[in-house]
Amino acid sequence: MIRLALPKGRNLTPALAALRAAGLGLDGLERGDRRLQIRFPEDGLEVLLLKDWDLPLYVEYGIADCGIVGTDVLEELDGDLLVPARLLEGRSRMSLIGLHSEMPRPGAQIRLASKYPNIARRVVSTRPWGAEVLKLWGSVELGPLLQLAELALDIVQTGRTLRDNGLIELETVREVAPCLVINRSAYQRHRAELNRWLDGFEKAGVAE
Amino acid sequence: MKVSAALPTGVAALLMESARRHRQLEGKLVQRLEERGFSEVILPVVDYLDPYQELLGEASRRELYRFVDRDGEVLALRSDFTPMLARLIVPRLNSLELPLRLFYRGDVLRYQEEHAGRQREFYQLGAEIVGWPGEEAERLCLRQFLELLTIEERRPTLVVMGFAGALDRLLLDRATDDPRQLVTALVRRERRIAGSGPLREVVEAGVPNNPADLGEEAAAKLERVQVLLAEMRRSFPAVELRLDLAEFADQTLAPELRQGREGRTYYDGLVFKAYGGRTAQPVGGGGRYDRLFQRLGTDVTAAGFAISLDRLIARAEGDGEDGEDRRLGDRG
Repeated sequence: MIRLALPKGRNLTPALAALRAAGLGLDGLERGDRRLQIRFPEDGLEVLLLKDWDLPLYVEYGIADCGIVGTDVLEELDGDLLVPARLLEGRSRMSLIGLHSEMPRPGAQIRLASKYPNIARRVVSTRPWGAEVLKLWGSVELGPLLQLAELALDIVQTGRTLRDNGLIELETVREVAPCLVINRSAYQRHRAELNRWLDGFEKAGVAE
Repeated sequence: MKVSAALPTGVAALLMESARRHRQLEGKLVQRLEERGFSEVILPVVDYLDPYQELLGEASRRELYRFVDRDGEVLALRSDFTPMLARLIVPRLNSLELPLRLFYRGDVLRYQEEHAGRQREFYQLGAEIVGWPGEEAERLCLRQFLELLTIEERRPTLVVMGFAGALDRLLLDRATDDPRQLVTALVRRERRIAGSGPLREVVEAGVPNNPADLGEEAAAKLERVQVLLAEMRRSFPAVELRLDLAEFADQTLAPELRQGREGRTYYDGLVFKAYGGRTAQPVGGGGRYDRLFQRLGTDVTAAGFAISLDRLIARAEGDGEDGEDRRLGDRG
């Protein structure tokens, strides 16, 4: 039996759609399900419903064999996981956000608020300006809005929250996609079954 | 004064029964190595950093605990036994009778970002064979590794084999601006970047349908590794052995394919890893590493392996759930 970790948040809907397109039933499982651990014997699966930020750790530690999580979380945590497929649905972007339309001038030192401090530092290292990275846990847009920081680095889906709050998306720094992650040991143990899923994703056109 | 029992992140204490279990297994492994003619070496836990600067990949360098001693020397805590042992052997090679069969045991310390399940201190037991002729060193090394892994046969073990440089020709032949990205993609088994053809076959099945796609030299080596695999399957029927070149795609011999993110980059022949139970990390691994001695200015064959005692115990005791996990998988 494969133990699959699924995200409780926004990535659950595209994850379920992709898995079902690949032939898994996952009968009765929908967003908002309050169960934490659900067996699907007919699919040979046990599903764990986890917070996005916890999910890679469960997979990396071997509690779950595989999971579906965004590339944003994956890059931030920098684990040693296989990432064989990215889903086409549920994509978003990670962008630099500010109150004004200009990027900092070369040589400037600013504050940059983000839920992704490691990615933020990587982004800053490629810029002609410097930044003190402020780690925030939620409502990152408030950083520039309330002048805690000049810029924010955060996920943008439709851009509506930004527009509603008078913020400007200055630059997309990463495309973000939900992806299937597998730990190396699990891939070796369940290679044939996991390759069947991946073939199913491709045939259904739900992943690349 | 209130005393806390808390330990730093990534380290653990083994108390009473855990310690007894650890020493018991260690004793069996050591006894077997001594029966096979291996001699123990005891290496320091602190060493100068300087001799290893050229030998470390970026990832290994990031893992180091280093500090300046009171006399101004830059020192590092032991993070890998093999380079330390090689460095100590090289100046003595002329006076030593080859081949050498050595084993060691002890802690290595590697800094890891703070995450659940990521240890920073590992207790390893390993062995090195130096100066054994040609590919016989690989055979002897793998055989010894499998023998130790199966010394307590309670849980199944899966051993993945490959060889350094196996995919170099395929990767270099693929027209791309940055072939190192391909290496990363293969290691992560990213299908979209592997595309179609032999690289895709390697990502899915571990080997290409037509070994000639690897180039003449690698195809010949693959054939020899397949012979070795068949021999080991006969000798160790309880171990599931398989070839998987993608697993070792970053063990490249071509400088233009080095990513700079690799850890131990000294392998240049057979490489192998063992997985067991639900533990996601390998129980152990090793390979041939003549290149390490070459970098130290000596031409001698060398092969070795290390086993994590903690993970071996976790596998033996069953770190998974129920009988479900006792089979290794679908043998795909």
